Amino acid sequence: SRRKRARARHKPCALKELEVSVSDLGLGYESDETVLFRYCSGTCEAAVRSYDLSLKSMRSKRRIKKEKVRARPCCRPLAYDDDVSFLDTYNRYYTVNELSAKECGCV
Amino acid sequence: LAAPPSPPGQDPHGWRVPVDCVRANELCAAEASCSSRYRTLRQCLAGRDRNTMLANKECQAALEVLQESPLYDCRCKRGMKKELQCLQIYWSIHLGLTEGEEFYEVSPYEPVTSRLSDIFRLASIFSGMDPAANSKSNHCLDAAKACNLNDNCKRLRSGYISTCSREISASEHCSRRKCHKALRQFFDRVPSEYTYRLLFCSCKDQACAERRRQTIVPSCSYEDKEKPNCLDLRSTCRTDHLCRSRLADFHTNCQASFQTLTSCPGDNYQACLGSYAGLIGFDMTPNYIDASTTSITISPWCSCKGSGNMEEECEKFLRDFTENPCLRNAIQAFGNGTDVNLSP
Repeated sequence: SRRKRARARHKPCALKELEVSVSDLGLGYESDETVLFRYCSGTCEAAVRSYDLSLKSMRSKRRIKKEKVRARPCCRPLAYDDDVSFLDTYNRYYTVNELSAKECGCV
Repeated sequence: LAAPPSPPGQDPHGWRVPVDCVRANELCAAEASCSSRYRTLRQCLAGRDRNTMLANKECQAALEVLQESPLYDCRCKRGMKKELQCLQIYWSIHLGLTEGEEFYEVSPYEPVTSRLSDIFRLASIFSGMDPAANSKSNHCLDAAKACNLNDNCKRLRSGYISTCSREISASEHCSRRKCHKALRQFFDRVPSEYTYRLLFCSCKDQACAERRRQTIVPSCSYEDKEKPNCLDLRSTCRTDHLCRSRLADFHTNCQASFQTLTSCPGDNYQACLGSYAGLIGFDMTPNYIDASTTSITISPWCSCKGSGNMEEECEKFLRDFTENPCLRNAIQAFGNGTDVNLSP
């Protein structure tokens, strides 16, 4: 099962989903409604570009010292899902936008 | 041997096949005598009442001829392409046939023949879904979850909720017109297994019943500063072809009957629930009047105050919503997941 876990960790960047209650989103809303939360997860090894290799090299040669740079592509949403509306425990409606990922990519 | 070509709108045995009014209009347009008569009738009806129209011989003749054409018993389908055009054609003939203001009008929609009992079966599965948490379960919350997990339902639900709760200005707290339109899209385009569950979920506590009452965002789509008289509201509804048709459909399918076990015409709960949902997003939008769990009371936003000598008619109209055993039984049966069993 260790091998299985290792393989799971190396899955390429893709869209995954989770059923969560609105309260669990941590946005401050109190509601028992369940929504579908889609997120991006996975590695981006295949998407390493010359940019990343060069940036790494500049950093190791201490040509870049103080700035915060990221020399690895990152699995992030390329587009977000439509708005999500729900009724909270005080019977008020709310609409949240850009809550859930629609498409993922290594950027 | 090829069958001889049958006249359009009729099957080879000479029986009239029900044809939609848009198609019937095309058939009529292809025939010189029918199309000229139809044009005459439309001119006769434009801006005139029935009596002045019938005083004209030419108009009367046109109406008589058209009663023989496929236009006469054409019908429309809810949510069909060109629904409004179809209904305009329907009423252009039928307004000439009725004696002024009738209490009940015949539905211009095709009868719901297929009893989609699957939806009831589905509802019964859902209501018994989690037996452990049965005493604490909230079916209206489960219905919201089911909708949120379906992309189409979630998109259109969020669509009407955000439209109906969007503040316009300090004086206007929402756009009722846009809210109604978004509600109609939700009920037209989302399968009834989702929409009925939200609308007719059964409740054991007040939080659930309040959620059910809130389904259509009543602060925008239902409530108003003042409650109009129900007969005035009916007149407003009848000036609009769509609202008039949906109301006629409600009267056809939800009218309490003493001849059936369920009090519904043809014991058809589906048809009644469908025509109830069809009223949402129009002037006659109905809703639960409170968050009571024991008694279900439905009403449009109107009262019988100021009815004058029409008080009795007004009360009768309102009772079809507030004290209608067919509607109440249909809602309760859906909530409990028990359709009538008609097998012998």
